[in-house]
Amino acid sequence: MSENPTKNSFEIQYEMLLNAIPSSVLMVDRKLQILSVNENFLIKSQRSKDATVGRPLAEVFPLVILQSTGIEESIRNVFHTGIAVKGQKMTYRAPGVPLRIYYYSILPIQIDQIILIMEDVTEQFRLSEEVRRVERHLASVVESASDIVLSTDIDGRILTWNSAAEKLSGLSTQEVYGRYFFDFCDLSQKQMVQQIFQRMKTSNAAHTTEFNLLTPSNSGTILISWVFSPMKDDYSKTVGTVVVGRDLAERRKLELQLRQSQKLTALGVMAGGIAHEIRNPLAVCSSAAQFLQENQISDDFQKECAKKIQANIQKASAIIENLLRFARSSLDTEMVEVDLISVLKETIDLVTNQAKVQKIKIHLSLQKNNIVVSGVQGLLQQVFMNIFLNAINAMPTGGVLSVAINTVEDRVIVRVIDTGVGIAAGELDKIFDPFHTSSPVGQGTGLGLSICYSIIRQHLGSIQAESRLGQGAAIIVTLPLL
Amino acid sequence: MNKNVLIVDDEPDMCWVVSQIIQLQGLNVFTAYTGEDACFKLSKGDFSVVFLDAKLPDMDGLDVARRIHTMVKERPQVVLVSGYHYRDDPVVRNAQEEGIICCFLAKPFSNEELLSILIALSS
Repeated sequence: MSENPTKNSFEIQYEMLLNAIPSSVLMVDRKLQILSVNENFLIKSQRSKDATVGRPLAEVFPLVILQSTGIEESIRNVFHTGIAVKGQKMTYRAPGVPLRIYYYSILPIQIDQIILIMEDVTEQFRLSEEVRRVERHLASVVESASDIVLSTDIDGRILTWNSAAEKLSGLSTQEVYGRYFFDFCDLSQKQMVQQIFQRMKTSNAAHTTEFNLLTPSNSGTILISWVFSPMKDDYSKTVGTVVVGRDLAERRKLELQLRQSQKLTALGVMAGGIAHEIRNPLAVCSSAAQFLQENQISDDFQKECAKKIQANIQKASAIIENLLRFARSSLDTEMVEVDLISVLKETIDLVTNQAKVQKIKIHLSLQKNNIVVSGVQGLLQQVFMNIFLNAINAMPTGGVLSVAINTVEDRVIVRVIDTGVGIAAGELDKIFDPFHTSSPVGQGTGLGLSICYSIIRQHLGSIQAESRLGQGAAIIVTLPLL
Repeated sequence: MNKNVLIVDDEPDMCWVVSQIIQLQGLNVFTAYTGEDACFKLSKGDFSVVFLDAKLPDMDGLDVARRIHTMVKERPQVVLVSGYHYRDDPVVRNAQEEGIICCFLAKPFSNEELLSILIALSS
């Protein structure tokens, strides 16, 4: 105020106000000369007031800006038409200052003046760029995922469908957009999927399941493991569902291989018992055949020999058949009605030889003669084979292996109890872990019980162990009754 | 030399085979289906030869042989007959070196072979 004693208080206030505005304000006359500027412009453009006020616009703004924006022409137009120009973008780099981005407006104020307001939007612009970058990144995460990622509205109509979904199903985003997701599920599972979407409306928790996705291009299906998660808005209101799916074909293949190789390990363990058991009937057949070659044998003895040969060939053949059935059975995977008692009896037959070699008595106690569960016969046999062989291994100097079967309400409980070495308390909770083994290195894979666990889980059952070191062990398998 | 022979095998058909092979030799053939039964019969009777299966439901054949070795005064000749072991099995070799069995016959065997063992042991 002391600098300009001639200015009246209105002018001072006006200038203060102008300088306080966080935008650049310039007044320009018809000749495109700058009449006044506020502080903000001087700071942003790194100019002094003297080098700015009274100078032509062309001298104050860099040539490149004048050319790229055509701002001089715009100003002339505003003078000519009296119509304001608003919201234009300008990129301005003053010497020694990083690039700034402005939105500017040209407003006519008096006959011979316009006001040029430049608003620095560098920060907002940077933020929106950042938002766009994050969006692009998220989109590429979803697109690059090898798992199916899709989103639906609250009723299950597909909104997004990533590349993996396109690739696995053979259906493009255009083909599925707006259609119900359950239209692409196996007919038998449609209702179940519909119910999941219904549940998503009110649930906060994810839902995990497995079902087949249709692949119309080859009129087939693929088995997928799915996770459904409710999608919430900022007010925690459910607005849709995110569905992530993983192709199980590869995992199933590996599981199958693992189960098969574990089975071969079990066969190896049984080899000793089998050798003994097959060589007995072979020895009987061999000797009886030699009797038949002798001269002067009675008709009765001849018949007896032939009978013995036939009976013992049958015996050897039955042992081999059991083995074959055990070795091959895991190839079928469909869950069907299975009589658990006959599975257990057949499995006991298979291990009887090995048990005998180790002087182990097997007791089977039954409540009923027929217990039906839903399952894969070969897999259930593999489970009990593993449990029996473990029990036999735990009794190197003989003992008793008891198998007790009870039905309780809607479940069947199979207890396999041995009188063997038992399991130490610390080991008990590890026995179902993969690669956990009490056998010396090279003698056990440590996969047997972990495979049992996975098979029983597949059958919607449970498997537990009870034991004390030196006091035998009990493995308890529970399965739902059909 | 007495004429009593004991056949120890839990498989009745195996006992039948062995007894058919040796019955024309004018011997008294006895059978036992378990280790305990074999030990009992051996402690009571006087046997010159025992055909012994390696794997019995209650005992290991070699354990039966070991018991005979310490228990019976007039020790019979023990022939281990097995489908579980093989000829140069260390277990078999050791048992032979220890003297608890005198020879080993692998199942299946030729009738002649069994007979010649019996004759060799009897002479």
